[in-house]
Amino acid sequence: MSRTTGSMLAGARDVSPIIVGIIPFGLVAGAAVTSAGFGLAEVIGMSLLVNAGASQIAATTLYAEGAPLLVVIGTALVINARLFIYSTSIAPVIMPEAGAWRALLGHPLVDQSYAVTMTTGRYRDDINVIPYYVGSWLVLALVWQFSNIVGALGGAFVPASWSLDFAVPLVFLAMLVPALKFRADVEAAIATAIAAALLVPVMPMQTGLIAAIVIGMVWGSARHHEHPAVEVDA
Amino acid sequence: MSEQAAFWVVILVLAGGTFLLRSLPLWLQGRTPAPRWLERLLRHVPAAALTALVVTSLYTKTGGAYVVAPARILAAVAALLVAVRTRNVIWTLVTGMAVLWMAQGVLGVLSG
Repeated sequence: MSRTTGSMLAGARDVSPIIVGIIPFGLVAGAAVTSAGFGLAEVIGMSLLVNAGASQIAATTLYAEGAPLLVVIGTALVINARLFIYSTSIAPVIMPEAGAWRALLGHPLVDQSYAVTMTTGRYRDDINVIPYYVGSWLVLALVWQFSNIVGALGGAFVPASWSLDFAVPLVFLAMLVPALKFRADVEAAIATAIAAALLVPVMPMQTGLIAAIVIGMVWGSARHHEHPAVEVDA
Repeated sequence: MSEQAAFWVVILVLAGGTFLLRSLPLWLQGRTPAPRWLERLLRHVPAAALTALVVTSLYTKTGGAYVVAPARILAAVAALLVAVRTRNVIWTLVTGMAVLWMAQGVLGVLSG
């Protein structure tokens, strides 16, 4: 097995615990498109081309409610604005291996591929980071596409009361803990948590999420300056 | 414009805009040296982003309003403890889901 294949498989394996949480989400996204009156072409086209779940559901729901196209698109793009921060953050990690076509590497950037690459992949010396990142996304995209189609055909049949969607943040939590190496990281996480708890419910269009991330970045950066390398022992 | 054409406009414009958001920083990377303050800020993106996503999931959305979900908070606290102790993704996931289901059951009985 080549190192590239091995790296792709490693990325796929590391991200796989999150799959159980993606499926109910994909079912909802697919079912939303068909209940808005559209067919499989729109379901597949949207999940392939947009490739960002929360914005797909928001855009479809707003469209079905009769919102103006500008509002539909604007809201969905605001939801995706966090991807700009992710891209800025992951760029130096995948840049050394990337060539002229590196802009294309933006498409596989989703919460999950970002999380696994930044918390796990980049520290592994047995893999190449670009195929690892792409491999993690491929398995996500496959499951995402498949569950969108199943949701479109059969509806969102996994009961919401099972709360399987909670698997995604649980895996994020597991990825977060090892990323908290220094005191400034812990403080950044606490600042973000407080800001998110307060801002997410009151700010529109998920802007609270982005505000919380920025507050955590600024706090962590300021504290890092004061305590450059105080390690936490957890 | 037909309904279908209008929805394809949404799909294509959203896809193009999302691609730009994702790709511009990658494309621009390395053209100018990143200033120190930006490097310091970016160090904290993974922790901040994951934390924000986890905290957001502790709310459920009903009719556009965010409502705190106590069962999810209990589950997240239990999962956090397991994550700190074991550093194991599967154990964190299993504990979190088990506590969530139990808490939902108990809270359901208490409130119903």
